[in-house]
Amino acid sequence: MERVLGDKKAIALMVLPALIIFVGVIFVPIVWTFIYSLFSGMPGFKFEYVGFSNYINMWSNKQTVAAIKMNWKYILFVTPGQVGFGLLVSLMMYFSIKKFKTLSRTIVFIPTILPTVAVAQMFAKMYEMVPNYGLINALLDLAGLDRYIQPFLGQPNTSFGALVVMDIWTAIGFYTVIIYGALVDIPHELLEAARIDGASGVKLFTKIVFPMIRTIMITCLVFSFTGTIKLYESATALTKGGPGFATTSMTMNMYQNAFLFDQYGYASAVAILILAQCLLVTFIINKLSREKY
Amino acid sequence: MKKKLLILGVVLVLLVSMLAGCAGNQGAKTPSASTGSNTGSSGDKFQSRTIKFLSIWPEDDKNSNGWIVSELSRQYGETVDGFKLEYEYVAIDQLDQKVKILMSSDDLPEVCTYESGVRLKQVIDAGLILNVEETFTELGIRDCLDEGAVSLLKRLVDGKGLYCVPLGLNMEGFWYNKALFEKAGIQKAPETWDEFLEVCEKLKAAGITPIVQGGSDNWPMTRVLNAYLVRSVGPNAVQDAVTGKKKFTDPEYVAAAQMFQDMAKKGYFAEGMNTIDPGTATSMLMNGQAAMNYDGSWKVSNLNSDDNTAGPEGIGFFNVPVVNDSSTILDYSMNCGNILMFSKKKYDDKVADWMKYVFPKLGDFAMQETGAFKGFSISKMPEDTTYYTQLVAEHLAKAQGAFLWFEAKMDSETSTIAQQSISLLYTGEITAEDYMRLLEETAAKSR
Repeated sequence: MERVLGDKKAIALMVLPALIIFVGVIFVPIVWTFIYSLFSGMPGFKFEYVGFSNYINMWSNKQTVAAIKMNWKYILFVTPGQVGFGLLVSLMMYFSIKKFKTLSRTIVFIPTILPTVAVAQMFAKMYEMVPNYGLINALLDLAGLDRYIQPFLGQPNTSFGALVVMDIWTAIGFYTVIIYGALVDIPHELLEAARIDGASGVKLFTKIVFPMIRTIMITCLVFSFTGTIKLYESATALTKGGPGFATTSMTMNMYQNAFLFDQYGYASAVAILILAQCLLVTFIINKLSREKY
Repeated sequence: MKKKLLILGVVLVLLVSMLAGCAGNQGAKTPSASTGSNTGSSGDKFQSRTIKFLSIWPEDDKNSNGWIVSELSRQYGETVDGFKLEYEYVAIDQLDQKVKILMSSDDLPEVCTYESGVRLKQVIDAGLILNVEETFTELGIRDCLDEGAVSLLKRLVDGKGLYCVPLGLNMEGFWYNKALFEKAGIQKAPETWDEFLEVCEKLKAAGITPIVQGGSDNWPMTRVLNAYLVRSVGPNAVQDAVTGKKKFTDPEYVAAAQMFQDMAKKGYFAEGMNTIDPGTATSMLMNGQAAMNYDGSWKVSNLNSDDNTAGPEGIGFFNVPVVNDSSTILDYSMNCGNILMFSKKKYDDKVADWMKYVFPKLGDFAMQETGAFKGFSISKMPEDTTYYTQLVAEHLAKAQGAFLWFEAKMDSETSTIAQQSISLLYTGEITAEDYMRLLEETAAKSR
């Protein structure tokens, strides 16, 4: 066996099938999509080569531009929200909660395993105003804050906020568990030594804890970013992208173009744009993570 | 050495199977280029007399169109040996995509649900489906179709002919809660738009929500805009704007959007209406939480049910009030719901035989079982029809002309924009001009 594994050709042969599958599943579709993005229309119907005009037209297409803007605004709120709250909750669990650690971890993790559509239904009920007040409006009513009672999903600003709150809530548990795992791995001696040296509170966190969990934080950011840039099902289930285009993401715009407007080529161009943004930001995050302070 | 050979062998097998997979894909793609050819043979599929039916209704959903077709087919199956209806269910929002894929590989099933209008026209132009008028005339069953439905279906595809059968004959208008009208001191249903606005004002003054629409689905709101547009510009308003004869940004079009927004601003619509789904809107009408709801005659099944708290005669109906003489009160908004189309390639004696059994029975069967008009002629009305079924029948009999819903003549992009943006017009986020400019810009792309 050793002789076989020592032989580079044999290794190459063994890696080859996986490599081919990997390339076939990941790279071929990307190249394929890129080729599609140079055409207009739908394969099988009017499918014409148009060069890069899909990429150029994209910037004058109001819906696509609105979707890009909305998606980035969403990322700016949701990614820090998910990872930030995840960090807060995990710190709380690690440092403050002494009893029922497993139980509290389980409770925090529950939203992550719920189906998105079920979560969206639950939140839609909470945000409801007509025909009956949902939880939030009912509480406002009880508190006598009648002027704040409103259809949260029926107005562009509030529906965006409603979506952000829901998506942060859903993911907190996931990041809490990951970050908690990293916190547990910090050697106790290190924390103790720091405490003896007089570090506590914020200082302990910034000088000892955070540097120790930095790589995990970076991973969490990449996870969250790649999740939020692909925003689709939660927005579809909660607001259907509305009102207007207030919560229509890039992937929803891509879907509409491909399957409603029969613009498969244009939709492919949007897909490539999403891919490019994903790669770029992941690259930047990685670059930052390698920097030493 | 043996091991090396073994590894080599495994790799080769993997490679070959992968390449075979790729080749298979290629093979499947090639015929897509030959859209429209009818040269392919359906092979021995028909020896077993299996007719495939692509439907958007779950098969066990009793009283649905899918159930009606499948139930009649089951009865037909009892008279013929070896006949089988293969029922394929596809969710309504996946239908268009599915049909497009089947079209591109020239593999439409024998019977297929679809929607009339712009989309059906594409299938007709591709030459993939049967001319129903010719086929039914040949089979001697042409008179089973209701003339009103036929002329409507022909109009939806710009007079290309009859290429589908209807699965409904619906008219639309305002349903109103009689008790609430009485409470607000309204004697009779409005016939002109001014009277209509007066009614809204009176209801509002009496503390009643005048109108509720299932705005979360958007189309119930564009219907109200369309109601005013048709009555002020004429039945061909949208068609003219789509073809470029007129523009969506013309003042009379903007005025219709303005009317919709004004009504919203005056509080004639339920608050937060764009978060209500159509089912809830219907419940609100029946429960007396709102006085009026623009909807189609498909609502009759809700009204006939025990859930109708307004009672067996508690809800009335009036046609869209008129604005000027561009259309009369006897012109109704009508549609034929979803339709059935038939693959030209897969049509043969067996399908013809099935058609001859199912369609002449469909009208009476549907009326008997569900109390609904399907756009087929009805030889006798059941004796125990409800007030609501009769109400619809009376209005259908009165109809002299028909106009279509807002998006009927729009391409899918314009239609999506029209629907998604109406919510912003309702909330006041955009102006009437903005809304119509959006439509104009989108419609101009495909002119």
